[in-house]
Amino acid sequence: MNGYVEAGYVVILGTLATYAVSLVARERAVRRRVGAESGKDGAHVAGGLGATPPAVDDPGTST
Amino acid sequence: MSTSKPSMPSSRAVVATQALGVAAITTVAATVWLGLVVTPPDEFMGNLVRLLYVHPPMAWVAFLAYGVSALASLLYLWPRTRAEHFDRLAGASAEVGVVFTGLTLVSGSIWGRPTWGAWWVWDPLLTTTALLFVLYLGYLAVRRVPGEFQARARRSAIVALVAFVDVPIVYLSVEWWRSLHQAPTVLNPTTHKTYVHGSMAWTLLLGFVAFTLVYIWLVAHRYRLAELQDLEDTAGLEMALAERRSEGMA
Repeated sequence: MNGYVEAGYVVILGTLATYAVSLVARERAVRRRVGAESGKDGAHVAGGLGATPPAVDDPGTST
Repeated sequence: MSTSKPSMPSSRAVVATQALGVAAITTVAATVWLGLVVTPPDEFMGNLVRLLYVHPPMAWVAFLAYGVSALASLLYLWPRTRAEHFDRLAGASAEVGVVFTGLTLVSGSIWGRPTWGAWWVWDPLLTTTALLFVLYLGYLAVRRVPGEFQARARRSAIVALVAFVDVPIVYLSVEWWRSLHQAPTVLNPTTHKTYVHGSMAWTLLLGFVAFTLVYIWLVAHRYRLAELQDLEDTAGLEMALAERRSEGMA
């Protein structure tokens, strides 16, 4: 084929995959921190991505 | 203004995002397979035509992302519809748009090197696209300027609307100026002629659908991340206030 074509596909798919993974990782990290903070107050927060979280989790009202 | 506190996403939203992710990955995989294996090489461009199935969809998604960001910004600025979620959506969509604009520039550069003999030329379309990239990087920087939420959101919304002015300029630049970059390939707005047919047309169409799904998935996650960050900030603030109150009572 052509090296330029493969390079184009690799750059596009690689960048999108990296960005997607970084978003999911950041989301998990924040969710974990929010869960830990809520845990101090006795509230329950879903631990990870894909888990079933409560509809509303307001740490301010759970003290 | 709607001042509802950010909340954790519902299980239905999480399942919907997961289904969207599966659909996005499947359609992207099909586009790559059709683009690299099934479709024939072009009579004039040869195998380089295979970049057609990914490069225009990158530009389309960038335009879509900025359109959504501008609309959400407008809805935030309008007093009757002002709500925090429009500000979050504007920010999320613009960030994803910047990623797709960067990919438009890079994939165009990779295509330009064997076609034009240069990685970069100061062509009107390329230059206005680079300007678009810089404008929205500036928008993302403005969003990070610390300050009171409403003032920051209002300032960001105005910047988003100003930056969006460049979108039609980018699209019409190939018509307005003598450009090295070719005019719209799929459907020429002037002649109404289509230049792509058969399996090439279907693969290109699938590419547009696939990367639009990827865009929606990325925005959903970026929005959720922003919501969680707001929730974290609110929780931190309320804990600090509670500590202060308990100190005051002690």
